[in-house]
Amino acid sequence: MRVIIAEDLALLREGIVRLLSAHGFEVVAALEDGAQLADKLVELRPDVAVVDVRLPPTFTDEGLQAAIAARRRVPGLPILILSQYVEQIYARELVADGTGGVGYLLKDRVSDVDAFVEAVRRVAGGGTALDPTVISKLLHAKQRVLPLDRLSPREREVLAHMAQGRSNAAIGAALVITEKAVGKHTASIFTKLDLPVSEDDNRRVLAVLAYLNGAT
Amino acid sequence: MTLRRGLVVPAVAVVLAVAALVVWTMTGGEEFWPRWVWFGLGAALIALALAGRIRRTPAGRRRWLVADGALLVFLSPVEITVWLLSGQGFFWPVYSLVTMSVVFGAHVWFVARRPDPRERELSARVDTLTRTRRGAVDSQAAELRRIERDLHDGAQARMVSTALNIGIAQSLLRTDPAQASRILDDARTAATGALQDLRGVMQGIYPSVLSDRGLGGAVRALVYDLVIPVRVDGDPPGNLPAAAQAAMYFAVSECLANAVKHGQAERGWVEFRTARGRLVAVVGDDGVGGASTAGGTGLLGITERLAAFDGTLDVHSPAGGPTVVTLTVPLEDQPA
Repeated sequence: MRVIIAEDLALLREGIVRLLSAHGFEVVAALEDGAQLADKLVELRPDVAVVDVRLPPTFTDEGLQAAIAARRRVPGLPILILSQYVEQIYARELVADGTGGVGYLLKDRVSDVDAFVEAVRRVAGGGTALDPTVISKLLHAKQRVLPLDRLSPREREVLAHMAQGRSNAAIGAALVITEKAVGKHTASIFTKLDLPVSEDDNRRVLAVLAYLNGAT
Repeated sequence: MTLRRGLVVPAVAVVLAVAALVVWTMTGGEEFWPRWVWFGLGAALIALALAGRIRRTPAGRRRWLVADGALLVFLSPVEITVWLLSGQGFFWPVYSLVTMSVVFGAHVWFVARRPDPRERELSARVDTLTRTRRGAVDSQAAELRRIERDLHDGAQARMVSTALNIGIAQSLLRTDPAQASRILDDARTAATGALQDLRGVMQGIYPSVLSDRGLGGAVRALVYDLVIPVRVDGDPPGNLPAAAQAAMYFAVSECLANAVKHGQAERGWVEFRTARGRLVAVVGDDGVGGASTAGGTGLLGITERLAAFDGTLDVHSPAGGPTVVTLTVPLEDQPA
């Protein structure tokens, strides 16, 4: 799998290159600033890109802006954004086009190597990988506006995992329940929230995110 | 018997005056010359008393005025006495007395006249700056102490535990790899916790989203995390100093937090506009009201923090609501 990395801190950049190379990725470019990032993303068309939000020369949300610009030119171009902190507003901007293939994770998550590599693969496959912190903020903020109290505590847990972009199998493993039980919970969530049911994992996640983002 | 220091000189003068009288009586003189001795002694006493008065006045314009007045008070009786003792005749002291009175009158007028508006404005400004600088320095010191404590109790403690666990794991690597792996897990958890703590401290110093998106964007990002819907209108202009921008951000954030925590609000609103060279942010909520800077809800802290940037805070919060807090900070002068 071909991957582009954009990270200004040399130690972290090399760490991610080493980590992904060891897991069978081919690093086609490792950039240290955001100046050429959008062009490179469009030109090299990687299977996935891992991009730091804050990059030189401006040291603001350069990486995020480049990612959004590149995805405007190539819809669905898979990009995983890494950040020292997470903001709901950035997550919303990333998933706003509804095409999937986006991730937004705290840099800390890199330390859980297996979960991180799994997230990169998921994004490459058109799925989403949103940090649990974003999702918990999102659910916390929406509790007064959305009828989330219709859901049972277990269903809310499943919803939180689903919103992060996880598959039924992964949710089952995380909550120590069978995949079949997860399927029942998701079906119930979709009914209670009046969401269109879909067999496809990614579509299902996007529907949930659109629902959570929709009501302001 | 001890005489107070201030009484020594008068006592000596009285003794000398009496001595002169005794000498005159004993010598049976014709002309009453002791009056000149008394005159000299009296003049010296007055001069001493006036000199003391001048010395006790704080240095500056007032001391010069007192010295001027003392000169008048000293010379008038001296001249009149000399005129009296020297057989009167034409009242010659009139020239110097009138001149000195006019000079002294002018001096008094000059010192006592109301300071001009600019001067008054500057003096009020100095008062404000003195007060707010002390407030800013105090709150900055408190802030630094809080940061130090947060780092010490949080990130630092966790890094120590991380290092310790890595050390233990290293020593177990050969003998008990399974245990070493479990301990490395703990180390990773502690390192992640340290990162979380650092993130919290850093966000408290200067939120990244503020440098990314400016005040308007940062407040819009902030309201997404609130449990109540908050409408944000208007956009602050760019010419706001970074530190004032942070103070304004934390002020708005505190007001909204209060709305949720103390005001039991259902919804809130934030409006940015500019008026007469100042950025005005109005933060309102439909909660129970009753907020005040005296209420200990952090509004006082915000007021002090804003005051360091010549900012103001005004609360309107009748019981029953709504609460409207108006925050203002001056904008930087636009480059010409």
